[in-house]
Amino acid sequence: MSVDYLLHENPVGYAVFKVVHQPDTIGNRLKEVLEAAQDLDKFGKTVELVGLSPFQGTSDALQEINDVSEGIMSDFLKATLETNLPKASKKKAITLGVWEKNLAGSIKAAFPNLTCETGDTNPVVGDLLRGLRQHGQKLIKKLQPGDLERSILGLGHAYSRAKVKFSVQKHDNHII
Amino acid sequence: AAGAKGGAKVIVEPHRHAGVFVGRGKEDLLLTKNLTPGESVYGEKRISVSAQNDADGPATTVEYRVWNPFRSKLAAGILGGVDDIYMKPGSKVLYLGAASGTSVSHVADIVGPEGSVYAVEFSHRSGRDLINMATRRPNVIPIVEDARHPLKYRMLLPMVDCIFADVAQPDQARIVGLNASLFLKVGGGVLISIKANCIDSTAQPEVVFAQEVQKMREMGIKPKEQLTLEPFERDHALVAGIYQRAS
Repeated sequence: MSVDYLLHENPVGYAVFKVVHQPDTIGNRLKEVLEAAQDLDKFGKTVELVGLSPFQGTSDALQEINDVSEGIMSDFLKATLETNLPKASKKKAITLGVWEKNLAGSIKAAFPNLTCETGDTNPVVGDLLRGLRQHGQKLIKKLQPGDLERSILGLGHAYSRAKVKFSVQKHDNHII
Repeated sequence: AAGAKGGAKVIVEPHRHAGVFVGRGKEDLLLTKNLTPGESVYGEKRISVSAQNDADGPATTVEYRVWNPFRSKLAAGILGGVDDIYMKPGSKVLYLGAASGTSVSHVADIVGPEGSVYAVEFSHRSGRDLINMATRRPNVIPIVEDARHPLKYRMLLPMVDCIFADVAQPDQARIVGLNASLFLKVGGGVLISIKANCIDSTAQPEVVFAQEVQKMREMGIKPKEQLTLEPFERDHALVAGIYQRAS
């Protein structure tokens, strides 16, 4: 099973990457293959940025991360996928690699001709998405160094504050 | 420990682990360089040392915070002689089970302004304290979320150099493995503090530790060493390993 496109959710926006060089399924756990994924030069040849849809502001980003963590496809993500993916039809199927299966389900419900794969169904997808996490900053040319760190810091505080503030159950979460 | 301050005759030396310091005085103290001079996080003692870098330059004071091994598993592990803590100035660390952020603040001191600590804590009550601590330290990213579901906070994490886990959950090896498969670089370090009672209170601690180490192996983590946290904690072990991904 090959994968054609990858969805990379980052605190700046949604990025869609095209897989230009299909990695092998066999031998993807070899030491050499794992090491090659760490190398930006080698990994940069396997994927190519199609488009980045940046979030409009901090409140926008908070809304999106809440949707993403619940596995909901927001209208913004839907629009992103519509503009960046070619039209899939019955004849020409397109496979999109995403991190999480609930989000994959939501995407599939809206795009019937799109197939979704996650790291669980296809280990190659997991490795490619890990590579995007590691090299995303360099592969998205529009980003300045430090952009991602700053957005992560802001979004982390916003997300955690919202969690603590709008906790439905008033009492504390029981851990054990 | 009460005699630590007053005398001010403390000489600070760097520890074998970069970013950690030792204060030599009446009794030795483990220290980290305070990222926010003039402030304590949880009432810990602070030590100022004036250092003369240049021969004719002005003397600058550097402030350190005392790190109590009875309150931090990582500090206990360092005093116990752990070979590698896999974090140094500039590192990115994923800290699972951050609680109120007392230990996290010391990890933030170690990685310094160039590094970052991604501190995950599920309890809302502790999460509040963690957020408050993080407002003063821009290299700490508070994440109030369940470490069992790392995909929920995937947007907040880059790839990290090290995972430190102190979650005290029966399935903690699985939790760490999941987080490693998403966020830890191949070759990155894993440090897990294991409390035998939390995993299986009926079995012998040694048996529990061996089982957990085996589970780590299955998750692609190659164990490097295991040490007890005596005399600071009872029936605790700190296990260090390297993430290889391929098991």
